[in-house]
Amino acid sequence: MGVEDFANWLRDSARVLHENAGYLTELDSAIGDADHGSNMDRGFAAIVAVLDETSFSAVDELLKKAGMTLVSKVGGASGPLYGTFFLRFGTALAGAEITPASIGEALKAGVGGILARGKAELGDKTMYDAWAPALEAYDAAVAGGSDLAGALAAAAEAAAKGRDATTPLVARKGRASYLGERSVGHQDPGATSTTLLLESAARTLA
Amino acid sequence: MIGIVVVSHSRALAEAAVGLASEMVAEGDRPVIEIAAGLDETTFGTDAAAVAEAIGAADSTDGVLVLLDLGSAVLSAEMALEFVDPEVAERVKLSSAPLVEGLVAAVVTASTGAPLDTVLEEASRGLAGKQDHLGDGPAATQQVVASDNFIDIAVGNEHGLHARPAAKVVGLARRFDARVSLTNLTTGRGPVDAGSLSMVATLNAQQGHRLRVGASGPEAQEALTAISALAERDFDDAPAAQPSVGTSNSKSGSGLDVAIGPAIVADRDVDLRGYRAGGNEQERAQDARRAAEEQLQTLRERTAENVGAAEAAIFDAQLALLDDSVVLDSVAENIGRGENAPQAWKSALDALASTFEGLDDPYQRERAQDVRSVLDRVLRALVGAAEPVTADAGVLVVRELDAATAAAIDAERITGIAVRAAGTTGHGVIVARSRGIPLITGIGEVDVPSGTLVGFDARAGSFVVEPDANVFRTAIRERTAEREAALAEAEQPAVTVDGQTIQVFANVGSVQDATDARGADGSGLVRTEVLFGDRRVAPTVEEQVEAFRAIAAAFGGKPITIRTWDIGGDKPLPFLAQGKEANPFLGERGIRVFRRRPELLRDQLKAICQVALETPVQLMFPMVTTAEEVAWALAELADIGSSGWGVKVGIMVEVPAAALRISSLAEGLDFVSIGTNDLTQYTTAADRGNSAVAPLADGLDPAVLQLIDRVVREVPTGVEVAVCGDLASDPDAAVLLAGLGIRELSAVGPQVPVIKSRLRRTDLTEAAKTAAQALTLPSATAVRELLAE
Repeated sequence: MGVEDFANWLRDSARVLHENAGYLTELDSAIGDADHGSNMDRGFAAIVAVLDETSFSAVDELLKKAGMTLVSKVGGASGPLYGTFFLRFGTALAGAEITPASIGEALKAGVGGILARGKAELGDKTMYDAWAPALEAYDAAVAGGSDLAGALAAAAEAAAKGRDATTPLVARKGRASYLGERSVGHQDPGATSTTLLLESAARTLA
Repeated sequence: MIGIVVVSHSRALAEAAVGLASEMVAEGDRPVIEIAAGLDETTFGTDAAAVAEAIGAADSTDGVLVLLDLGSAVLSAEMALEFVDPEVAERVKLSSAPLVEGLVAAVVTASTGAPLDTVLEEASRGLAGKQDHLGDGPAATQQVVASDNFIDIAVGNEHGLHARPAAKVVGLARRFDARVSLTNLTTGRGPVDAGSLSMVATLNAQQGHRLRVGASGPEAQEALTAISALAERDFDDAPAAQPSVGTSNSKSGSGLDVAIGPAIVADRDVDLRGYRAGGNEQERAQDARRAAEEQLQTLRERTAENVGAAEAAIFDAQLALLDDSVVLDSVAENIGRGENAPQAWKSALDALASTFEGLDDPYQRERAQDVRSVLDRVLRALVGAAEPVTADAGVLVVRELDAATAAAIDAERITGIAVRAAGTTGHGVIVARSRGIPLITGIGEVDVPSGTLVGFDARAGSFVVEPDANVFRTAIRERTAEREAALAEAEQPAVTVDGQTIQVFANVGSVQDATDARGADGSGLVRTEVLFGDRRVAPTVEEQVEAFRAIAAAFGGKPITIRTWDIGGDKPLPFLAQGKEANPFLGERGIRVFRRRPELLRDQLKAICQVALETPVQLMFPMVTTAEEVAWALAELADIGSSGWGVKVGIMVEVPAAALRISSLAEGLDFVSIGTNDLTQYTTAADRGNSAVAPLADGLDPAVLQLIDRVVREVPTGVEVAVCGDLASDPDAAVLLAGLGIRELSAVGPQVPVIKSRLRRTDLTEAAKTAAQALTLPSATAVRELLAE
């Protein structure tokens, strides 16, 4: 596991987000400001541009650069949120050996950053509704002796369930919260992009 | 002084908010204000790194206050605090104040040198004034210490203690070592802290209110003296001149009637395919309405400044559409039925446009164009499309020319405009003409691929796709040279080769027209209905005197010919309602309107006579048919005591009947002036606005020329004959008119130098021969060929 693997994850994520940009924006147009897909696409395309231009010697350097790129290029709230995730995820991996356990710790640090930044709680109909079950499933899989591939697959699967569970919820954070009850019946775009990122990780980081 | 950072999703929003707040304090007193807003000029979004950079730039040991809009702005600002030096982060405060109100309060308070915490507190009270005014927020409360000293002041400035003068009071109050309070004695509001802008705003101090200023502390007396002096000066709130619009498009066109360039085809519909409906279509429909309204208001201002008030008034009609409750209700209803915002606007305005198009009157029919122009503007706002006329250079090809496009065009890049629709009374056509942009109308459904070279010569009435560029370049060169030579000697009189002086006047509808008319010997036609066309109520005698005086002054005291209200037909006036007529061009027009209600005419006659005391003035009545009408008009003039005013009186000859009996009709008058446009359409029974028959309505038709010839020959001795129609603006036709014996021509302003130059090269004996021959020819085309020889 090294720089190349994480770079592949980011490239694969960029591809998937690009393919799903219309879908994400459609979800966001129902309850938000109709820009989540284009914002994420722009942010990850910028990461790919950085990857094409720069070579990184350490995983944390790469991930932190990705985080800063998202902070500057995404524009919406997902910029600082995913940006913080990658900054903290990368920082946690600085100098560490890449193992299922260290990745688990790093994920926790990254999601901790999302929580600190967004101040969301479980059930607020946000990306955290996908991250929280994913972290739990990941830890459980590692505890049960699973390798990185298995643990990430479990996390992605749990995230998808969490994502689906956002549909009946009332949004309590972000632009969607202005809609109140009218946000019910729509899947949360942030939880959807989180799931795409984790699914991509399961494909590429094994 | 603390620094301020504004974080917003939109750069435009942030810049505007900063502009608004900066107005509040003098430039030298302003705090540093940095902006971190938008991903670029137009992309909404916030960037924590940019916020961190802005904080760094605004930072000093006094600290930084950050004002922000919503959502990611908050997250990005918090994140930025992690990026900056921890020592700097310590002295940065993020404010939850509403952006605009908070920023205004913060800038004013910061400018007094107040510490960060005070500025933060003031910003967070930014809503107090508005809440108190609207009564929908928690009551603003603030403890004010009892004052030892007080004085009473009066609010003398026109708009009361609104934001700017209030800011001056606050700034002054803070400068002294004293606690200063204000009470509105007239309303009983207060006391409030005079050092707090938001609290002073809650006093709602209007002009005429009395305020009590209290002060305590070591410098209490000084503070009271200073504030009293400020009040004496009306809080330095002198009415300021309106700032000019920065991006005005005042450049004029070439003034030629020929143009060549790559075609910029802008007759496509707005592309709605990329539009995605959201859950907030009503809101989007409203947002688009507001955006369109703002654009139109800007255009209105620019046009008023660069073109003229009458042309600017065109946008009032478009603005009114955006404020029309029937239209807006229909949009809302359509959305309620499940249409998205673009569909809803389209259905509502298409229906209205069709209604206009179904009307009989061509003037009303052309109003459909205003409706479609507004619709396109709203649709562009909804899909975020740019204005149709973008950065290209060349000849603009449009289906119809709306006033907004004509006013906004960059005349340096757009070398000419080709309009598919026929019709010369459209608002856009009027605006383009007065800007001197080469223009041809009625080119029809010619296939013009975007980017292909096109050329047109309005003088010859030709529009060519892929023309021989050299032919057009030569024409442009020749006419430019012609024009430049003409301009150089514009002020010289037009004396023909054989020594006959021909007076060349200008037709004007505004003071600006008069100023622009270089070399004119005066005005042969002041269109009063255009001059006051933007009025909702009739102008007073004094207002008319003022306007006529300004026009006379623009002509340097040369004679001006004022035509009384020419209303009806295609020219309705907002302040004179007329019933719908089956055939308005054959209905109550010109002088006919006033037989039943002469009051408006009487006011105008008074104004004309009054101006005639100061400057040479001629007066003419339009649309005269019978001697009885002339007698009536002269009696009206006599009734207001015109004898001895020295006004020369004449009539327009536009009706064939008037031309035929000119010998009796003009008896006792000083002059007659032939209006060739109307005379042509009444003689040929063809509407020049109707593309199907427009070719028939040609002023060079020998039948029209025969009527002109008859007027010249049969007019009573001593009565002068002038021509003030379009024919006088065409150099070839002007020579022909001179050949027929006309000695006074009145042309559109930009053509005056060209006409004069042409007449100077004319031998009248030759011209008379040509004219005599023209009278015998079978058609306008044959006359045109003769003139081209």
